[in-house]
Order: sequence, then structure tokens, then C-alpha cells
Amino acid sequence: MSVSGEVAEKLSTLREASAVALRLKTVQYFDAIQGMLDRFAMKKNLEVVYVTTTIPAQSILSALEVLEVPMDHIWLVDCISQIMMSPGKQHPHAIVVESPTMLENIMLKVEFLLRKHPDRSALVVLDSINSLAIHNNTKILSEFLHILVNNLRARGAYTVIFSMLEYETEDIRNMLVLVSDETIELGD
Amino acid sequence: MPTKERDAGERERCVTGIDAIDHILNGGIPRGNTVLISGSVGTGKTSMCIEFLIRGALEGENSLYLSVTEPTDKLLMNVIPFDFFDDKLAKQGKLQFIDLPKIYQELGIDKEEIDFEQARLLADTIAGMVENQKIRRLVLDSVTSVCYRIRDQERIRDFLLRLGTVLSAKGCTSLLVSEIRSSEEGYSHWGVEEALADGVIVTGNLERRGDLLRTLQIVKMRGTTHSRAKYVLDLTTSGVLLVPLLKGGSVTGGG
Repeated sequence: MSVSGEVAEKLSTLREASAVALRLKTVQYFDAIQGMLDRFAMKKNLEVVYVTTTIPAQSILSALEVLEVPMDHIWLVDCISQIMMSPGKQHPHAIVVESPTMLENIMLKVEFLLRKHPDRSALVVLDSINSLAIHNNTKILSEFLHILVNNLRARGAYTVIFSMLEYETEDIRNMLVLVSDETIELGD
Repeated sequence: MPTKERDAGERERCVTGIDAIDHILNGGIPRGNTVLISGSVGTGKTSMCIEFLIRGALEGENSLYLSVTEPTDKLLMNVIPFDFFDDKLAKQGKLQFIDLPKIYQELGIDKEEIDFEQARLLADTIAGMVENQKIRRLVLDSVTSVCYRIRDQERIRDFLLRLGTVLSAKGCTSLLVSEIRSSEEGYSHWGVEEALADGVIVTGNLERRGDLLRTLQIVKMRGTTHSRAKYVLDLTTSGVLLVPLLKGGSVTGGG
């Protein structure tokens, strides 16, 4: 089975309000995004809030365009462009957080986007725990995940937290166990 | 809903409409309280006050903004374009913006320093407007500027006491904006304001590892239990949003 198909299928088995750790290899990254957004979220009519701390929103947007994923219900919270001083143009579906260290502001932007679209169920994607761990210590990151995930759970939203296997540490694995209901690991 | 019914013995609430603040206050500001909104520049005091008035006007409560430092035309040009704002509110008179210098002029207060009688006259005039127009929500932005002209602590005390007593008796919930420097101790320039207010909400800037976060903390609110924790604030077109400040294992709130 393709990576995108596998991701969509495994996510589809989850109940609403689940928080999932999606452990994947770097080579599976874009296929996993396609499976999650194009197959799973579209089928379930979900509003997607995609928090990117790994690559700029512009790169995600370009990838989604190539993959022909419709953008109507996808919103990006870009936590990396500003800190990179990247001159990328603004996109109507992307909002910026100054730095991945501003964890409270990430929560606030997610809240803002969910309030803008109260009529649909939501999927919130955190891409990725590994890059957040570069910029934040374990204690504050655990606290952030704990509050964010519980808040989203209370709203009935799905949460998917990306973890790149190549960059996982024991601290990250412990954090994921603490906040996730399920762990999805993709096959080779 | 502007008013929340409470159990016997509990005070009626003025539901601000700012969800997070109502949540922190267990249902809203006790009706008739005079609340000091204290903070340094750029911390969101005015935006929060305007949202408080718009939310009230949308629920049918007559709301009045008294601007001291900035002409209201200029103020409205720079205010956040809230999604929930409705032009009709101003046309229907539910939401009014008045420049206090115009009232000074009408009252013949033309000297730099406001004397005892003029301070009383000013308090009575504002109280009269509240009564005549059935104002349920009032913002004075800023009380610091008014106090600068009254100058004397005793006169300030008399002015605030007089104003607060009448507003409370009329069931008008009021927010008095207090401008302080970030280095200043206390929550008001003269010290009298915070002592007389029923509530104190403090907005601020918190620098953490080079990031500047807007924060909000409810220090005091008579008539209700409330959280005294510090929150991080965002000013958005959907209104003021708050999330808890992350402590990250640090007693100073840093990560």
C-alpha cells in the first residue's frame, strides 16, 4: 500500500477527538501529508489547521499545489518563515507566528482559526515535534502539548503530531506517549 | 447574553463577551463594578475595552466610550476591524464615542488644572449621561489623563469615589484605563485609582528569551472568585484571545 493510502486508512479508524503521534521517515513526509490532507481530511469534511515549524508555509503550499490538494479548507500557521527572515509572499491561508519559541502564540493562532470556522470539525496538524524540540526545552514543550492537545480534545478536533524517526530522542518519545491516544508508525 | 443569572447570594454579572475573561471571572464582571484596566503602551487595553463595549451593544446594552487622549475619529481609524462589529450599533445609539475635551469645553473647564468643584461637576456630568442614556457599559480612556488635570490626590479620590458610587448605583459596569510605564510599580500612576477600583486587570509585555508576549492578569475583582494566573493575549479580528502562560518548569515563567 502507498504511504498516503496507509496514512489515510489508519487515520480513518480513529474516533473523533483523537490525538495521534504519526511517526514517519523523512522520505515518507510529503506522501504522508497528501494522505492526511487529500484523502483523510477531505473525506471527513474537516477544516485543517496545519502548524508548520519545520519548513516555511510557502514550501508546504507549493507541495500541495503540485499534489493538487484543494486549499479551500486548509489553513497554515507558519512558525518558521519569520525567524528565517524569509521574504516569502503572504498567502491568504497562512498566518505567521514570529518564532517556534512563541508556543502560546501558536495556541492562540490555532484558536483563532478554529473560531473562524466553527461549523466544521477540525484536524490540527503539528509538523513537527522534532523541530519544536530544537527551539524549546522539554518541560515547556510538554506543557504546551498537554494544554494544546487537551484543548483540542475538548473541542472534538483530531490532533496529529508528526515525529520524524531519524530525529526522535527519548524525550520526544516520552512526550508523545504522554499526550497521544494512539501512535501510528508507517511501514517501509 | 449580557447578564448571567446567578445562584442566590451571588451578584449579577455583566458578561463581557470576551470568552476567556468571562471564564476567568466565573461568568463575567459583577454588575456595576468599576474596573481598572492597567498597563503600559501597546498591551491591548484600548482594544479590549472597545470589544467590551461592542459585545455589550450587540446584546442591547447601551455602551459609551469616553476618549480623553485621542480624538475618537482617529481612534476608530486605527482600531482592529472586529468581525463582529456592526455599523448599525452607532447609528442606533447603542454604541457611542465621545471626546471628553468637548465635555470640558461645555462645562467651561478651560484651565490646565481641574479644581475640586470642577472635578465634582465632571463626575456628575458623566453620571448624568449614564443615567439619561441608560448606559450599562462605560469606558474612560484614560482615567490617568483625567487625573493628570485634577492633580491633587484628595481631589482624585473624591472624583473617583463620586463617579464610582453613581455608576455602581446605576448598574453601569465601567472600565477605567490606567496608563503606566512598564517600570512603574503598582497599577496606577496616582495610587488612588487602584485602591478605589472594584477590580484591577493588568496587561503587560513579557520578554522571554527575546520574544515579547502580551500578557493579562486579573489581580483583583470584588464580588467573584477568579483565577489570578497570568495569560498570554492576542488581539485578533475575532476579538481578544487568551491562553495560559507556559511556565516550562521555571518560577519566572520562562522556557
